Amino acid sequence: MKTRQLPIVVAILAMVLGACGGGEAATTADGTATTDGATATTDGATATTGGGVATTAPAGGGGAAGSCMGIAAEEGATIVFSGWGDETEQQVYRDSITRFNEACPGITVDYQPVPADFQTQMKAAFAGGEGPDVIYVDDQLMTALGRTGQLLPLDDFMAQAGVTREEFIPSLLTIFTLEDQTYALPKDWGTLGLIYLPEVIEAAGIEAPTGDWTWADLRTAAQAIAANTDVGGFCQGADWARLAPWAFSHGGSFASEDATQAMLTDAGVIQAATLVADMHEEGSLVTAADVGAGWCGEAIGKKLVGMTLEGGWMVNFMNNDYPDVDWSAVSVPAGPEGKADVIFTNGIGVNAATEFPNAAAAFALFVTGRDNQAAITETGFAYPTREDQLSLITNENDLAISEGGTFDLTRVAFWGSNSGRVNDAVSKALERIFLGEQDVAAAFQQAQEEAQLALDEAA
Amino acid sequence: MASTAAPPARRVKKRVRNETAVAYLFLSPYLLVTVVFTVGIVAFALYISFTSYNLFESPTWVGLDNYRKALADTGPSGFLRSLVNVFWYVITVVPFQTAIALMLAIVLNTPVRAQQFFRTVFYGPSVTSSVVIASIFLWLYLKTGVINYVFDQTFSLFGAQWTAIEWLNDPRGLFQIIANAFGGDIPSDQWLFRGPSVTWLALMALNIFTTAPTFMIMYLAALQDVPPTLYEAASIDGASKRQQFRSITLPMLRPVTLLIVVLGTIGSFQVFDQVKILTSGGPLNTTLTPVYLVYSEALGEVGGGSVIRMGLASAMAFVLAVIIFIFAFIQRRYIESGTEQY
Repeated sequence: MKTRQLPIVVAILAMVLGACGGGEAATTADGTATTDGATATTDGATATTGGGVATTAPAGGGGAAGSCMGIAAEEGATIVFSGWGDETEQQVYRDSITRFNEACPGITVDYQPVPADFQTQMKAAFAGGEGPDVIYVDDQLMTALGRTGQLLPLDDFMAQAGVTREEFIPSLLTIFTLEDQTYALPKDWGTLGLIYLPEVIEAAGIEAPTGDWTWADLRTAAQAIAANTDVGGFCQGADWARLAPWAFSHGGSFASEDATQAMLTDAGVIQAATLVADMHEEGSLVTAADVGAGWCGEAIGKKLVGMTLEGGWMVNFMNNDYPDVDWSAVSVPAGPEGKADVIFTNGIGVNAATEFPNAAAAFALFVTGRDNQAAITETGFAYPTREDQLSLITNENDLAISEGGTFDLTRVAFWGSNSGRVNDAVSKALERIFLGEQDVAAAFQQAQEEAQLALDEAA
Repeated sequence: MASTAAPPARRVKKRVRNETAVAYLFLSPYLLVTVVFTVGIVAFALYISFTSYNLFESPTWVGLDNYRKALADTGPSGFLRSLVNVFWYVITVVPFQTAIALMLAIVLNTPVRAQQFFRTVFYGPSVTSSVVIASIFLWLYLKTGVINYVFDQTFSLFGAQWTAIEWLNDPRGLFQIIANAFGGDIPSDQWLFRGPSVTWLALMALNIFTTAPTFMIMYLAALQDVPPTLYEAASIDGASKRQQFRSITLPMLRPVTLLIVVLGTIGSFQVFDQVKILTSGGPLNTTLTPVYLVYSEALGEVGGGSVIRMGLASAMAFVLAVIIFIFAFIQRRYIESGTEQY
């Protein structure tokens, strides 16, 4: 009896293992789409190779039908596009895809948004060779993917489409440029402006802020609000991004241009940080937690402070959560070296391993292109990446805030591959100062060492 | 003689061999999965820990550099800092959660009204996803949240004033607060002596809340295995309830206690999700844990964006594994001594 069972068991196992083996064959088959008849045995493999077969039409000689954005796109291509974003942002990009389909009907775009942990998922997907064809790129992904050859340089495609680097607001390309090549194009950007509540300003008996204010004016006003009203003067957290406009306008920078030297103990940063620390000490600068808010924008909405530095996201936030609160914005105050702001931006890049490089590049260029940028700007969702299109912004507060992008000293807080660590060192230094653990000199001395280590290890 | 004895012996041998073959055949699917996805991956990680690797370019051999870098980093955001943090965590969480689990189990083992209801309710936190629990505590721990409110109300009953604490953003250390009360202070570069921060203690409380019920179930099962005759005999001998607990219950629970302490220690050393959701290692790195550091280095997310250092992350993971092994080994020796094996 027992000996008779053995062949049956072997047969069952053979079937199980055989089925597994078959699955593997199918997956390798769609990796190499054009291999021989071995793939024809499984349905899955033939289904996936179907798309590949259709692309054999010569790309170069295609007529007007194959041309998209001036690029000879592969006819019948299907490209996968992934980005983060909430429902609003997803709708903006669904609309962009609709416009793209009208302009380039031969290409199908499969939009696969990844709202949470986008960067982590993309790193894993690219490491597994399964990355989408077109993706959002930020500084983190530029480090992980751009520097390791996973993204396609777009310069040739830009030349074909007649897009130049010069048409963009200059600092927007900082993150995406590596050895003079462009690995992604900015999809939109944001910056900071001085947000204030007119009723608080009035109650404090001071003049309303203007674009001509200096940081000293801001301090005087914050002192007056703190003294004459029962709300906080100026709200700012221990955050590198909020210190950046102060530091840049004092001629400072977190690191040198070539991202090799930390500059956190240089005069510009120290002067700016001292000003902030003094304001915190005297109570004219408060943090969101001090006044019982989650962040400074919410503190404005709840009328707990008179002023803060926030960006374009305030417009939608206030409309949705505090529609009855009257608020205004002007561009950030000026420092001794002039006006300066910090730019946040993300781009759209193309997977170097894409099956349809032309179609994918055409899509990236279309979405970041002039016409689509104008359409997105009209929705009020984001700022356009070309300076001459800034006039398309309709909201007054957005207009005031976006001015920050045009100042000479304005820049992106990007310092190479370990930018996050450098910026984090600044935030932590401010945190120690606000907690009263260290004075400005000691806190930024420590930050300087941490940032220098991060820059050294980035090489 | 020999020829008649040989056939049965050979048959038996052959049957044993066949049975072994069948056993391995049945085991093979699982063994295959284990070899590929556990043994294979651990071996690969061990190899990676001796290399410099960023996921996309082939690994380059660097020898012991990663281990040296991990163990020499005495900075405030380094691996040693995370080990010190997790050490505070383990020595606080493990005793508390074990004691609370035992207490709950004993309470639920006594015949109370609606016993099943209480068992279900007490077990609730353990079956709920840790992400959900952490998100709920995110609200409870707000400066304007319920926990501060309860403290405030309680304090005002006694005419005292409660200063609201920002539970998830308070880097003050326990020993530092004690020192402050006596007019002293421990400066920031002496973080080693500051003890666990307020935020870290808050996370410990959260974790005790979620894991104690899991271990409660194990204790409950073990309690029901203690033969009632032992208690009967003891009470005839005139032993008090307390004596029965110390001389019968605790010794009988010893194997389970070992299991709970070892599992609790391993789990505590690997604390990650609450840190990721609630604090990201902050404030001022006081909740930075080894696993969170491994995660951030492996994915290039240190400080919000850094170079991917898979090798360094793997080296840290192996150092942590060795530490956990040593702790588990010591605990086994200590708790098992004097335990009869059943």
